[in-house]
Amino acid sequence: MSNSIFRGSVTRRQFGARAIAATAAMVALLGVSPAVLAQAAFDKDAVIEIGSLYEPQNLDNTAGAGQGVNEAFNGNVYEALFALTDAGTVENSLAKDYTVSEDGLTYTFTLQSGVTFHSGDPLTSADVKASIERVTAEASKSSRKKSLATIAKIETPDDATVVITLSEKSISLPYNLSYVWIVNDTATSLTDKEDGTGPYTLADWRRGSTLSLDRNDKYWGTAPTNAGVTFNYFTDATALNNALLTGAVDIITSVQSPDALAQFKDNADFTVTNGQSTTKEILAFNDRVAPFDNVKVRKAIARAIDDKKLLESIWGEYGTLIGSFVPPTDPWYTDLTAVDAYDPESAKALLTEAGYPDGFTFKLDTPDYDPHPIVAEFIKSELAKVGVTVEINIITANEWYTKVYQSLDFAATLQEHVNHRDIVFYGNPDFYWGYNNPKVIELIKQSEASATVDEQTAKLLEANKLIAEDAASDWLYLYPQIVVSAASVTGYPVNGLNSQFFAYDIQKAE
Amino acid sequence: MSAVAALPTRKSRRSWLFALGLTLVGINVAVALLTLVWLPYDPSSTAGGRLETPSLLHWAGTDRLGRDLFTQIMIGSRIALMVGAGAVAIGAAIGVTLGVLSAFATRLLDDTFAAAFDILIAFPTLLLAMLVVAASDTASLWTAILALGIAISAIVARLTRILAKRVIGMDYITAARTSGTSWPQIVVKHVLPNIWPTLLVNFALQFGIAVTAEASLSYLGLGAPPPNASWGRLLQEAQGTVYTAPFGAIAPGLALLILVIGINLSADGLRDIGDPTRRGSR
Repeated sequence: MSNSIFRGSVTRRQFGARAIAATAAMVALLGVSPAVLAQAAFDKDAVIEIGSLYEPQNLDNTAGAGQGVNEAFNGNVYEALFALTDAGTVENSLAKDYTVSEDGLTYTFTLQSGVTFHSGDPLTSADVKASIERVTAEASKSSRKKSLATIAKIETPDDATVVITLSEKSISLPYNLSYVWIVNDTATSLTDKEDGTGPYTLADWRRGSTLSLDRNDKYWGTAPTNAGVTFNYFTDATALNNALLTGAVDIITSVQSPDALAQFKDNADFTVTNGQSTTKEILAFNDRVAPFDNVKVRKAIARAIDDKKLLESIWGEYGTLIGSFVPPTDPWYTDLTAVDAYDPESAKALLTEAGYPDGFTFKLDTPDYDPHPIVAEFIKSELAKVGVTVEINIITANEWYTKVYQSLDFAATLQEHVNHRDIVFYGNPDFYWGYNNPKVIELIKQSEASATVDEQTAKLLEANKLIAEDAASDWLYLYPQIVVSAASVTGYPVNGLNSQFFAYDIQKAE
Repeated sequence: MSAVAALPTRKSRRSWLFALGLTLVGINVAVALLTLVWLPYDPSSTAGGRLETPSLLHWAGTDRLGRDLFTQIMIGSRIALMVGAGAVAIGAAIGVTLGVLSAFATRLLDDTFAAAFDILIAFPTLLLAMLVVAASDTASLWTAILALGIAISAIVARLTRILAKRVIGMDYITAARTSGTSWPQIVVKHVLPNIWPTLLVNFALQFGIAVTAEASLSYLGLGAPPPNASWGRLLQEAQGTVYTAPFGAIAPGLALLILVIGINLSADGLRDIGDPTRRGSR
């Protein structure tokens, strides 16, 4: 996936602790009774059939494998030192414990004992070192490479200890390490094989069709509640829905349209869960060039578009309105929907102040897949009311990557950003949207060097407000995360954070 | 005797179908012209509800954004006719010119032309459209028209070449040549008047094919970009909601069906007029 930082390989969602409560509330709202969730009798030898639209390009997350490999392998086949849970918390995984030096620059990790790779090799600190270096290597295509750039030195004083020295403080290190698969350092051809420590081993990958995982009976942790899972890949959402209707699959990992839900919603044979996503639909301006280098113009555009009506058009009753790039489940969230809320009259006034009393015309580069074209049409019709003319230019995902992301050759564009904790992109003036506010850059830089999480949160909260006030981009809405399953299947992740789909707790009723 | 008796009935049935075809095309032309001066709703108005079913207010329902579908389909009719006419005009201009040139050319050049036409005919229209889009940077109604026009030109050129060669082989052409008539004069005075009825029928058929092909191209995002309400694009937009709001897909599909049937019936009727020997032959 060339545009891997978006729909591609990366992070789908990250959460604060309050997400647990929010999720529970939503599950309850959707009518999933706790009794169903806590189903007692299940078949521990059942193989769970999972339906997905995201087949990996290959099996190596440092080789541009796309989000599909995270879905199938994160936590299932490969584990990391830390795990990003479905609720968004960061927990110890292969790291049993760790300490941080006074200056915050040296992290000492102690590894779990008795862990072996699927090949039988024991886990040692050398494997951890090699695994981190795989991600930071020159040839690595990992989108997380940059976040690990502060690692200056990795030492392995003994088999169970890893010492990481940083060039500058990085409070997100454990979080960032949750993206680093621990791979056996002697393993080869990882693009079509695996050697991880997870609760499942790769049984078979039939390209274009299925990827199946078998339970790892020698797993060091808690054994899975099923005998294995098979990911069934579809290229067409309708075919995928039909597969669930006919019982060919047990679960769909992510439903992308509310209209497909009608057939499952009022049917007792299926469970629909509405989890929290971190996927944001945004209208990104090129803040470097006129007219969008003018804050007033950006604010005017934001006020001229009725986000609520747009969200209802695309997602019906699902999805959430956001006033900034930060979803409600990030620790630094605050409700900013009132900033530049829908108000066409003040939009016109702002345009006049900015020197565009008769409006202007701009080209909107629109990726050719749903929902962008229809969002573009909506924006065109909304902006026409304040005298701004939109020329919709439909481009492919690859063109978007080269034209917009690499060449910065655009006025405004639409994109869905799937990453969580990605507000930091606004601290990079070289990022494609070219937002450059020295105060925000400084705050985001300082937040990473924070001594405590509270300090980090406070800094990012302040940055978040500034970015929203500047209307750096127009944040249209937050996607819902909808998983649909057969009623007999429970225990799957409802948020699918970071595209992950932990399979080990899935139970199928007998 | 019975065959002779059957002829008038068949003939009247066929002329009835011809009339029907012309009527259907006529309605489309009328609707397309009407859109230039009047529309039931502003096509970009999102005032309607989401995916409303057909009603007195919205004859074909509304789309996800609450826009009136009937308005969009009316505009689609204009786009369809524009594409059909534009593609056939381009195809005819290039095709007839090349076909006639080829028919008059030396043996070697003629063979080369013929091979080129065959290759172009074998070339998938879709791939051609993608090449045209790639060459012109963005997909638009004009790239679709151009791509379809080029595809049609090969078919027209091959037909023109064969028809023209047949005419050139006639004795009166030899007579005209020996009496000093120039090639351009022969083309204008003798060749074109003899081949145009057959060509006209072919143009009509190509028109229908172009309309369908444009819908396919737009469906795939290679045709008119949004918010142009091409029928193919309406079909594509309705795809995701086909279970909850099937009319969104049925309505533009029906419109397309009506126009193409109309064109094909008209083409059949034209052929019968232009070529009496084939009258009732099918």
